[in-house]
Amino acid sequence: MATQTSPKDLILDPVFKNNPIALQILGICSALAVTTKLSTSVTMSIAVIAVCACSGAAIAAIRDRIPSSIRIIVQMTIIASLVILVDQVLKAFAYSLSKELSVFVGLIITNCIVMGRAEGFAMKNSTYDSFLDGIGNGLGYSLILIVVGFFRELFGSGQLFGYDVFKKQQIVDGVAEGWYEPNGLMLLSPSAFFIIGIFIWILRTWDPSQVEEA
Amino acid sequence: MSQGKDSLANTFIVATVLCLVCALVVSASAVVLKPMQKRNAQLDRMKNILAVAGFDEEEIRETGVEELFKGRFEATIIDLDTGEEASEACKAAMDSAGKVLGDIVAEYEQLWASKSKKGEEWAKGDDNKIAICRKLDKKEDKCGIKYREKFSHVFKKKSADGKVETYVFPVRGMGLWSMMQGYMAVKPDFQTVVGLTFYDQKETPGLGGEVMNPQWKKKWPGKQIYDGGDVCLRVIKGDQSSNPYGVDGLAGATITSNGVSNMTKYWLGPSGFEPYIQKQKSGSSSSAVIQTVTPVETPAVTPALTPAATTEEPVLEGSH
Repeated sequence: MATQTSPKDLILDPVFKNNPIALQILGICSALAVTTKLSTSVTMSIAVIAVCACSGAAIAAIRDRIPSSIRIIVQMTIIASLVILVDQVLKAFAYSLSKELSVFVGLIITNCIVMGRAEGFAMKNSTYDSFLDGIGNGLGYSLILIVVGFFRELFGSGQLFGYDVFKKQQIVDGVAEGWYEPNGLMLLSPSAFFIIGIFIWILRTWDPSQVEEA
Repeated sequence: MSQGKDSLANTFIVATVLCLVCALVVSASAVVLKPMQKRNAQLDRMKNILAVAGFDEEEIRETGVEELFKGRFEATIIDLDTGEEASEACKAAMDSAGKVLGDIVAEYEQLWASKSKKGEEWAKGDDNKIAICRKLDKKEDKCGIKYREKFSHVFKKKSADGKVETYVFPVRGMGLWSMMQGYMAVKPDFQTVVGLTFYDQKETPGLGGEVMNPQWKKKWPGKQIYDGGDVCLRVIKGDQSSNPYGVDGLAGATITSNGVSNMTKYWLGPSGFEPYIQKQKSGSSSSAVIQTVTPVETPAVTPALTPAATTEEPVLEGSH
């Protein structure tokens, strides 16, 4: 990690080669909880990217001053403050979305990806690199969230961003219309596990070096 | 790396400075964004009132929440004990409680009033203080609200010629985890439900959280409220399509369902909006069908026990 990497690699590596969810299997809980709709997935993604990048930069900026005995607490304080900030901004500018995301914005604090990057990268690297690394890891998380959200909303309710894509089967004024029977399982958490599993499968087929040795 | 960064002094300095900076950032953001958040919450409530009174989403989106609300609704404040409209009295009481408001009808927050706990004990022996809420005893407190505010909003949906089409009452009650807050809309006969909606609840998603499910909300319109003076409307397990007083409960969410049931019973009962409803019925022309037999002028402090409550307690399979 300490070797020099180009900004492009810093951003793109965590998306495909070292994806926090697909390879490191971090941050699964929120990935299950907020992906029933694409709009909440996207909002959550933006929130995590913002928190991850800003906390990385802030921690890297003061990394030479942080006493090692309280470093985890210092990281947590910075991350928690940023999460509250994001939550407040969401409540002010995207009220209905923040209502749907409810506790999960607050729970970004406990997202292992953010903590992991702070401790594993930002403590050893420059502010600029840490910022990019935060964006990269946030994007890696977002990629999974958006893919999962896309399939769950499409098959679970036949919609994308709340607009009908598949015409739902229903009876309107006594006349049957539409053809798509929404798959209720897609709206429940297990389906997110299936989709993440399939995603990891495809990713590791494409790049066999990610396969762990048995 | 500086040499003394692990020293005790440096640890304290870093911790203090960090706390100060973070506290500043967090509080600044909270203060700066508060007006916008408050407005959002207000708009959200207006939207819920519109939705519960039967406006569909498209109409709301086209006209705009605020325009539609201001154009079609008249908001008033009533005294829950007497049933009279009482915005002046409410203003005086709120002033005495230290909350000076400009436009009382728009800015009055009844949840704040009940949470302030400024009830009779608080006002006792001081002529300058007027109680803005009342502590409920266990028997009266059917829905777990502990304190009930003295003044409540009532929203009237008006037709083009000024006739009231729907009354919307703010209601709340304890579910399993949270205070469920919402609105109940009834027809001017005060007998038929127009709808029930919640704008704030934190029940278990997928179980109790289904109170927000449009499919479940659809079961409410058309249901009947009073039978012989008592609130008979309730949430019961099983198909209730043939029962005018029953709404099917939520599977796996007994406590939430009971909470909703108790909530409607309380707020439409003598400790809730019944005094107001009686006033409206006796005041309005005979077009409204009066089914209730007991005209209550002064509110009964102890609620009438509903005999049906013990025999027909809704019990659902599975709980949290």
